Amino acid sequence: MANKVRDQHFRNLYSMLLRLYPRAFRGKFSEGMTQTFHDLCREREEAGRGLLGLALWIFFETLAGIARENITRMNQLGRTMLRVALVALCLLMVPLVASRLVDGWKWGLGAFVMVYLLLFVTGMAYAVIARKMGAWTYKAGVGLALAAGLALGWSNMVHVADSENPANLAYYSVLAVGGIGAWLARLEARGLARTLFAMAATLAVIAVILPSGAPPYLARNMTIGHVLFVALFIASGLLFRRASLAGAN
Amino acid sequence: MVKRNTAQAPLTPAVLHILLALSGGERHGYGIMKQVEADSHGKVKMGPGTLYGSVGRMMEAGLVRESNKRVDPEMDDERRIYYGLTGQGRAALEAELQRYRGVVAVAEGRLAHGQ
Repeated sequence: MANKVRDQHFRNLYSMLLRLYPRAFRGKFSEGMTQTFHDLCREREEAGRGLLGLALWIFFETLAGIARENITRMNQLGRTMLRVALVALCLLMVPLVASRLVDGWKWGLGAFVMVYLLLFVTGMAYAVIARKMGAWTYKAGVGLALAAGLALGWSNMVHVADSENPANLAYYSVLAVGGIGAWLARLEARGLARTLFAMAATLAVIAVILPSGAPPYLARNMTIGHVLFVALFIASGLLFRRASLAGAN
Repeated sequence: MVKRNTAQAPLTPAVLHILLALSGGERHGYGIMKQVEADSHGKVKMGPGTLYGSVGRMMEAGLVRESNKRVDPEMDDERRIYYGLTGQGRAALEAELQRYRGVVAVAEGRLAHGQ
């Protein structure tokens, strides 16, 4: 009886120790590791030997494993950040070169810094979210949704600045729907599919009810833009739906 | 770190022992540890940190796959997660054993000439 209590005590301590592993590793292996630890304790008890020495060895050995896994994860994250930073820098070259060649394109330093930060944050979001699922449809859905979201946010920011019409801020509600939906869905494919369809519906409703106040030649371009963004969000939603169905099968 | 191209790269001792332990069939974590201990005549004792860290990297490299949870008839009635070799894992083990055979042949030849 005393041995069982001690075994349970060590097992609880071991479960607490496993919380120091990176979340993804813990999700995959903590159950098996706890079970293995329990099996080792039981073997030791059946041999009539004390648990303390075994527990100390296992705890020390597991701590070394925790350090190794965390260092590996940090290295991976560091490499990902470096890659994203470089890709964002390459993309920034487009407006940088354009500002030299196109008349009237005058961005200040602040604008370049802001665009770089937006590209970097979007890239990191893709890198972190896309690794949730191996399916290419999920990764493509994440990429399309983030690219469309970035383009919508950016174009709306420019449009609000140009038109000085605060009603256009309503477009940000589309991004808010996306953010809240992704959070509620916990980035699962099925929930993300619904979120993207909701974003498409929100944008369509805004496009219909919000007076653009734009002259006719611009209104046509805006309609094309709305249709394009709605199509992109729907396409992304369909990709997530396909990923969800593939995952279920 | 287990590379994807494991057919050519030398394996770490932990990975080799796990592949060897799983070559006889699917095993759960404790079963792998016991098999490694038996295969090495008690010289290698692998703890859960090393075992599951290696298994994680081997799964990423496609050498090992997780099998369904089931009860071990030789143990208690708790269900355990089993692991098994993939075709790629078996190929990596065979390639490594071939590499060992080559090393042994060279070493034996050299020692014989030295005598």
